[in-house]
Amino acid sequence: MRILIAIQVLSKIKNDLQVEKVIQFSAQFVLGAAESPTILANIESGEDSLPPHVDTILTEACVRAPILAFRPKIRKGDPVKNILKEIESGEYDLLIMRDLADQRMMRLFRTTRTAQIADQTLCPVIITKGKAGPIKRILMCDSGGSESPLLGKLTAQLVEILPGEQEVSVLHVMSQISAGPGVKGEQLRADADELIKTNAPEGDLLIRDIESLKKTGLNPVPVVRHGLVVDEILAEARVGDYDLVVIGAHRKKWQQFLLDNLARLIIDQIDRPVLIAK
Amino acid sequence: MGNSQDNKLSIQSQITSHQLPGTLEMTPLRSLQTAWWKSIQFKKIGIFILSLFLFTLSITLMKEGARSLTSLVQITLSISNPANCFGFGWFFAYLIMSGSPVAAASLAFFDAGLIDKMGTFAMITGSRFGASFIVLFIGFLYVLRGRDRATSLSMGLLSLIVTFSTYLPGFILGGIFLRFGWLNFLQPSFGPLLHSFIDAAITPLVEFIGAFLPNWMVFCLGLGLTMLSFNLFDKCLPREVLMDSQLGRMSRLVFRPSVMFLFGALVTIVSMSVSLSLSILVPFSTRGFVRRENVIPYIMGANITTFIDTLLAAVLVKNSSAFTIIFVGILSITVISILILFSGYRRYQSFILNFVTWITDNNFNLAIFMVIIFVLPLFLILI
Repeated sequence: MRILIAIQVLSKIKNDLQVEKVIQFSAQFVLGAAESPTILANIESGEDSLPPHVDTILTEACVRAPILAFRPKIRKGDPVKNILKEIESGEYDLLIMRDLADQRMMRLFRTTRTAQIADQTLCPVIITKGKAGPIKRILMCDSGGSESPLLGKLTAQLVEILPGEQEVSVLHVMSQISAGPGVKGEQLRADADELIKTNAPEGDLLIRDIESLKKTGLNPVPVVRHGLVVDEILAEARVGDYDLVVIGAHRKKWQQFLLDNLARLIIDQIDRPVLIAK
Repeated sequence: MGNSQDNKLSIQSQITSHQLPGTLEMTPLRSLQTAWWKSIQFKKIGIFILSLFLFTLSITLMKEGARSLTSLVQITLSISNPANCFGFGWFFAYLIMSGSPVAAASLAFFDAGLIDKMGTFAMITGSRFGASFIVLFIGFLYVLRGRDRATSLSMGLLSLIVTFSTYLPGFILGGIFLRFGWLNFLQPSFGPLLHSFIDAAITPLVEFIGAFLPNWMVFCLGLGLTMLSFNLFDKCLPREVLMDSQLGRMSRLVFRPSVMFLFGALVTIVSMSVSLSLSILVPFSTRGFVRRENVIPYIMGANITTFIDTLLAAVLVKNSSAFTIIFVGILSITVISILILFSGYRRYQSFILNFVTWITDNNFNLAIFMVIIFVLPLFLILI
């Protein structure tokens, strides 16, 4: 697995704590991957020459992580452009990056730089936010869309390279309500077990996910929540105190045009690392 | 039957086109033509023309009959200010379980000089409040028969609360437009073709009816015919096509709010009624479920184009100011809806859904809400 770790280095700070956190978080993926990672350090500054301390920051952080070997790449300028350019040229299997700080105006128009990268990259992206520590509990959010098989496959791949044992929960959010007064709505309140027992489409979806994950040696737990998709994913992530939330993203053009970008909303609001499967 | 035949034709054409790629391009085209002719339902076209004729007749009858209702409206019911008109339109829509005939009646009252511009606008807005109660009322009947509260009432409540929350600020904005006459230049001159049709086909019939019936009864007949024309129009809608379509997938996806807003508006241009548009949502889902995220913008869009029949009624009344009033209504609700969609939509959505959950949470909350929406229009009539 080829991993790209993208970090944002502040030009005037000699020992960036955020850089250290991202590298430490990434180390747990790097240890199980066959290839050594590429670390792309981006400096967003107006100075012509690169600050001399960047190499030192990277090396020291990697020693502490520990990441034994890595390919350093130092870029200057717009992080979105630089990260996307590197991904295009590098055939990476996973991008790990920190949520980029955005100005308020950009957030108003919902075009955060992190979301831009997550939208445009072709490989899966992990965005480290909030508490980013050892991954023990994973929440896989399956919408039942075309990206569902990919979610399971990617979760299984990650679990394989992560150290220790992980607990995986498969979440499906039922945001439906009855379209008319005469509709029988037992399933609109049912939990995971009831949906599985009654062979409801959501139950079948959960069974499919669980069986595919069981093949890889995992023992996932099905979870169903009722409410707005984004709100319920955020709530489950908090309540279950998960260390990583795995979500899908729309890739087809018509989907991007017609469907709501829930991944972007989750990236924006979540308080823990999130993996966007692609 | 038709479908299986189409399937056979398409399968046949696929098989043959594999065998003889160059020669069989006409086969699918011919099969499509056959299916197109077969799919025309002449009975429905006939019902549509009849409903249009009855609608035109009913508006003209109400217009003629409204003049005799001066004492009833202004003295007996004391409908004198916009608040009274608002409550009257609202309660009237409860009584006849429909908003569009009330909106058409308000235009007839306006043309007859019974109520002023502001009163007409208020009565039309009130009629929309009353109309959105229908889905809730049907849900309430299901609750009385022992069905679950949340499942039976959610859609009705959503429809009602979205209508309240967009029409009320829309009413204030529209009131400002009307008060200062900013859109008074929008007074179209109605085409001679329409005039000649009404004069040739409708006026003699109205005069004939007027010769036998007192004016108040002419108004009531007009009101009844409006309701009948809407019922007939409902029968023209191609629901079977929706049932058979593959659009069930729609209920599984979460669309952009703006897409659902346009979709709701588009469906209601055809169906002319919000409650009908909502009932059309059911065939889009095999289980009768729709996404929470999709419903609110759909209702917002539907709430705008539901004015289309009232706009037609304004044209038929042949009163330019009546047209302006409806246009102001459409414009103000559109402005408010777009503001919500593109500024604080997520917060608005959460608020509406939380409010619906609060109402359906227990019988006490539901009772409070039902009492308020029943008492409020009566209170408005009396002040």
